[in-house]
Amino acid sequence: MKTKGEVFFFAVCVAFFGFMGVQALALMGEGRAGEIGSALWPLIALAASLGFSVVLLVRAVRSPRRAAAAQAADRDEGDESRRRRQAVALSTACFFVYLWAVSLIGFILATLLFIPAFAFALGERRVKVLVTAPLVLTTVMSAVFLKFLSIPFPKGIGIFAAFSRLFY
Amino acid sequence: MLEIYAQAFATVLLPPNLLAMVLGALWGLLAGALPGISTSMGVVLILSFTYTLSPMTAFVLLVGAYLGGITGGGITSILFGIPGEPSSVPTVIEGHALAKQGKAAAAMWTYLLCSIFGGLFSVLFMIVATPLIADFALRFGPAEYFALTILGLSVVSGLSGGSMLKGFLSCFFGLFLATIGTDGITGEERFTFGTVTLLGGVNFVVAMVGLLAVSEIMIEAEEPFKEYKGMVEYRGLLQELPRFSLFRKYWLTMIRSPIIGTIVGALPGAGATIAAFLAYGEAARTAKHEPQKFGKGAIEGLMAAESANNASTGGSMTILLSLGIPGSNTTAMLVAAFMIHGMQPGPLLLSQRPDVIYGIFVAMIVINLLLLVVAGTAIRLFLQLNRLPYSVFSAAILILCVVGAFGINNSVDDMMLMFVFSLIGYFMRKFGVPVAPCILALVLGDLAELSLRRALLLAGGSPLGLVSGPISAVLLLGALVSIVYPLIKKPKMLGAS
Repeated sequence: MKTKGEVFFFAVCVAFFGFMGVQALALMGEGRAGEIGSALWPLIALAASLGFSVVLLVRAVRSPRRAAAAQAADRDEGDESRRRRQAVALSTACFFVYLWAVSLIGFILATLLFIPAFAFALGERRVKVLVTAPLVLTTVMSAVFLKFLSIPFPKGIGIFAAFSRLFY
Repeated sequence: MLEIYAQAFATVLLPPNLLAMVLGALWGLLAGALPGISTSMGVVLILSFTYTLSPMTAFVLLVGAYLGGITGGGITSILFGIPGEPSSVPTVIEGHALAKQGKAAAAMWTYLLCSIFGGLFSVLFMIVATPLIADFALRFGPAEYFALTILGLSVVSGLSGGSMLKGFLSCFFGLFLATIGTDGITGEERFTFGTVTLLGGVNFVVAMVGLLAVSEIMIEAEEPFKEYKGMVEYRGLLQELPRFSLFRKYWLTMIRSPIIGTIVGALPGAGATIAAFLAYGEAARTAKHEPQKFGKGAIEGLMAAESANNASTGGSMTILLSLGIPGSNTTAMLVAAFMIHGMQPGPLLLSQRPDVIYGIFVAMIVINLLLLVVAGTAIRLFLQLNRLPYSVFSAAILILCVVGAFGINNSVDDMMLMFVFSLIGYFMRKFGVPVAPCILALVLGDLAELSLRRALLLAGGSPLGLVSGPISAVLLLGALVSIVYPLIKKPKMLGAS
């Protein structure tokens, strides 16, 4: 439901900018003549952000017609919509695990595992693609970024570091 | 004068120099197209090869890499939606949208021709008006810089894509993000919550990659599964080249944008990013043909941004060669190259070594023409990537994003920060909050704040100091008009979704 989501999103914005505004107030201090301190600029940005968030939140709350339309649209979409949302959640989770795994098992192994997992999460079911793509892509990426450009990606820890050292 | 240029042409076209220009342009294109390698990094990496070369060969190699890098950024921006540099953000917005509509080949050729046109225009402008540009650039103090950044930020109305309220929210959020880290004047920590990662502030490449590229993949993941990224039918050069009528239709944009690019490029610290955004915003504000397409694949926006982006190189080189002031990271590397060869760029160099100065002018013309051939050949190869399976293509883009985020500081924390920004970008897009104003504000925010504070210090705290000079007054007036005019013209835009 987009409107419910909008209300929640702008409510989070209000809370976030409000909290940061309080933090910014703590930065206020005495300066030299003509000097504006560290707090003024962030306070201007946060006050404006907070103001716009409040207006957008109020607008989202006060739009029952759009809410009803969104609800009806959501009912129509049904299973397919839910399946796609799951795909987004799963692929995002895959990406997060990949970022975390790069430092743990090294760039090469993490990339080799990430590509089929991510492709599967998106809905890829062709076995040929799931098997060949990780090998080809990891080889190309490693050759370009690790060998040619010498970007010092993490090697991982323990046995994984020993494995990575075979390549870079 | 003509004799000097004829001599310069003869020197530049010597086989070793010609080879150096081709290699430099190729390397620059590659560096610009690869995320994680910025143009300045590309120039640094080949700087060490120039020690043993003759000065002219060394300079044409480095200038080739510089121009190639600025041009190469557009390739990944259009095809993958990954901006290699902040100045490529407008190219991502319009170019990638065109690519998603199946017009990747047309977008790539338009981008390339406009880039080359911008580059050539700026060199010619530079040859004619170097003293004027240099004099104008020297008049910029803190108040003028503040006014310029505000003018840059005022294009937010053109980037809002419908609702200006949401555009302003995004813009002020970006301004807030720019304040995170150590304060440039007092050295105070702001919003770091004790973390070392945030001490240096939010790196805009990390934020850009997360907000634009990764969130785009997340949004695309919601769409029904497709086997291939997209079908690109490359029908041959003559069929894919944009018609001359396209450039005639947008003649005003094609003239105005390189002028903006050259002038803004000459301002130290401003450079290609403000130039691209200003030209793009101006094109959006004054668009007569299909203004509704801005943000959804407007060819005029792409033309404006790319021609201004490349034209900024001429401005940067002008200020470097005439005054010895490096306007950007990349031109700072060129200063190092001058020093390696026992020269000091500045007013004296023109009288001491006119062969080098005019040689560089001529080399810039030749390199721009070479880039047309080199990048034109590369376009067809890059377009083949669209035939990859969609799932693999998306995974490859994410890996490139990781490389881009990690490559800046070789920091795993930056990768995590990119992930946080990708989530923020996803929800912003989901609820119709445009991400481009946020990036623009993040890029300009630091300069705006520091300039404001310095200007106020110089004026003893009086806000009138901000409008005391004619340049700052005109720029601020321009910013005011840029914000207010769309509201008067279309008041519904303020809240429309």
